[in-house]
Amino acid sequence: MAIDVFWRIPTHGEPSSLRNKLHHRGDWSQQHGDHVVHKGLSGGHDDGFTNLDYIAEVARAAEISGFQGGLIPSFPMTDEPWAISSFLARETSTFRFMIAFQPGFLNPVVAARMTASLQRATGGRALYNVITGGGGPSQLWWGDVAPHDDRYARTTEFLDVLRGVWQGEKFSYQGKFYQVEDAALPAQLLGQEFPEIYFSGSSDAALASASKHAEYYLSWLEPFDQLREKFDRVKERTDALGRKIKCAVRVDIIARRTEEEAWREVRRGFENLDDAARERYKRFTEQGGDSVGASRQRSHAPKELTDYRDFIIHPNVWSGLSLLRGGQTQGIVGSYEQVAERLDDLVQLGADAFILASTPHLEEAYRVGEEVLPLVRGHDNAPALRVVR
Amino acid sequence: MSIKFFWQIPTSGDGRYADAHKRIRGERSDSKPYFLPGVTDPRGRRFNYFDHLHQVAKAVELAKFDGLQVRNDPQGDESWIVAGYLSRATRDLIVLAEFDAARGSAVYAAKNAVSYQRFSGGRFAWQISTEADEAQRRRNGDYVAAEDLNTRIEEFVIVARHVITETDYDFKGRFFEVLKGGFQGPLSGQKVPPVYLSGNDEDAYALSARVADVHVLDAQPLADIRAQIERLHELASATGRPLEVGIRLDVLARETEEEAIYDAKRYAEQSGQSKGVAGGALWRGLTKDSTGASAVLVGSYQQVSEGLAAYAAVGVHHFILGAVPSLEEAYRIGENVLPQVRSLVAGTSQRAA
Repeated sequence: MAIDVFWRIPTHGEPSSLRNKLHHRGDWSQQHGDHVVHKGLSGGHDDGFTNLDYIAEVARAAEISGFQGGLIPSFPMTDEPWAISSFLARETSTFRFMIAFQPGFLNPVVAARMTASLQRATGGRALYNVITGGGGPSQLWWGDVAPHDDRYARTTEFLDVLRGVWQGEKFSYQGKFYQVEDAALPAQLLGQEFPEIYFSGSSDAALASASKHAEYYLSWLEPFDQLREKFDRVKERTDALGRKIKCAVRVDIIARRTEEEAWREVRRGFENLDDAARERYKRFTEQGGDSVGASRQRSHAPKELTDYRDFIIHPNVWSGLSLLRGGQTQGIVGSYEQVAERLDDLVQLGADAFILASTPHLEEAYRVGEEVLPLVRGHDNAPALRVVR
Repeated sequence: MSIKFFWQIPTSGDGRYADAHKRIRGERSDSKPYFLPGVTDPRGRRFNYFDHLHQVAKAVELAKFDGLQVRNDPQGDESWIVAGYLSRATRDLIVLAEFDAARGSAVYAAKNAVSYQRFSGGRFAWQISTEADEAQRRRNGDYVAAEDLNTRIEEFVIVARHVITETDYDFKGRFFEVLKGGFQGPLSGQKVPPVYLSGNDEDAYALSARVADVHVLDAQPLADIRAQIERLHELASATGRPLEVGIRLDVLARETEEEAIYDAKRYAEQSGQSKGVAGGALWRGLTKDSTGASAVLVGSYQQVSEGLAAYAAVGVHHFILGAVPSLEEAYRIGENVLPQVRSLVAGTSQRAA
């Protein structure tokens, strides 16, 4: 089966290069560890544009370049994906809006209506990245009081109700978190495609929930052996429940025409790290929280920042990315061919879909779409479409 | 004080006739072709109701309304999605989205609202309503007791306001809880959506006096509205908060009164309400099924303009108007009624001053 490749939407604003933070897009940026808000889209002038105008351009770049669509993340400091999707429904054509959200924050019957309406507004281009929250004080910031393992049970119930309501027959449900009586989507909203579900979460409680409802189990990039093991475990658990689940990987990439050029981007960024970034790194290696995914990422990090090569943990895999920009730590660095080969390696160990990202997301959507995606074979053994150089 | 005119966006159907909810403009199905087989239909499935709503929103803006109101109808499309979709299509309109406080976390709603404000240049507003029918509430997964609905709205508004305007905000209520909440960095400094509440009883008035910016009354004869406004202002002055008043009213205006009455009667026939709706200029129940308004102001352009100006004169500053079909009537009202009302109101306030 052919693999799906998504892009990622930089809701967090972004520098125009990983090498330095001289220029930035979006109406805010991270500088010296602080969030700086700008008037207008760039340069600090109130130009009447907002971050949404840049996001819109990235979304169009992704669809023009052959991506399925894009993951729209949800963080405390960023705009919400439901809002972004409804605002941009009309100015995109094939772009699929992968909405990251925590189900606990919405009434599932309302969420069903929101989703069906969004499907109508987009021609069926909405899908979910269901996240269940890292726990600790941050959940209470969101106004969520449920403990970690309970939250996965709640996610399961949420999706039970959503599916139930979607069918259009009167649906009743008595759960621990949700109850409904004779619920159904209105006739006008019926017959829309149920959103595909990409499910995040690494704990056993998460896997139990993913096994029941998700089409895709979504992981950050991890060391390849560890990822193979994880995917095997997820697929085993789903098989036991009589369902099939596919696996997807969120991968940051730095792809250039030659491997040297790609590593040069990393080296320049590494050399330009400021004290705030070093301090942030120190905090990152020490911080707590009960997210299993985050602590898995931390366990691969060197303690000191001396040479960027200390962060190479596998051919073409660099684990220092979060030094250069917020987000996950590991990414693939290499020539177009190498990056395509590593993606194919990931397919061989169980990946069925990718969510790719690279800074700046606008130009890199074109680069990756034009230079890397044509070289990815997926499960197919056919030769690459063309050879670069 | 300026008067604001909103036009209602019908979320559960719109078409030329009174049974609009059965006629959803733009919606196509493969099983029921719209044209006879002898005529080609180039549309295929390319359009649906959202394309029509987009047209209505543009019409509302071009016809010089101040805002659009997106109705929360459990039988229709979801109001926040429609509101976002239409915000991007308009430039200056206030986008007043109606919803139920049963939608979920107040923090999450507030955070989404911040994005709406950022993307729309601060045009987003909230109309929070309650569902009176218990069976319908349960269909919506809402088991909160009727007597607690106002408390939930109050907590919802309090939490939302604080997390939008403050940081390190703690709250522990019966329905919502937050610890060290509040939006920072790029999400800080956004305008709290103006809060419109409604309801026709003392509890609803008191709630509005405590937390609303605008209380929206159902259409009633002028004397009743005047009395309700007096009561609302009494309660509001006791809390020391400014509270404005709105009205939810449908309009059926034609060049002459005869034409208006003729069309009102035809509307009544089409919607199966043949009797008991006429009553002077204010027809009760005529469009309730399709637009939710309790009454329709029927008359000539002149009469309807004077009727609206009379409401303004007793203190109504937010008019949430509607009519079927939405697009044609938005232009009609925008061209023939709003300019007259605006000049009548300007004249009134000049005389008062």
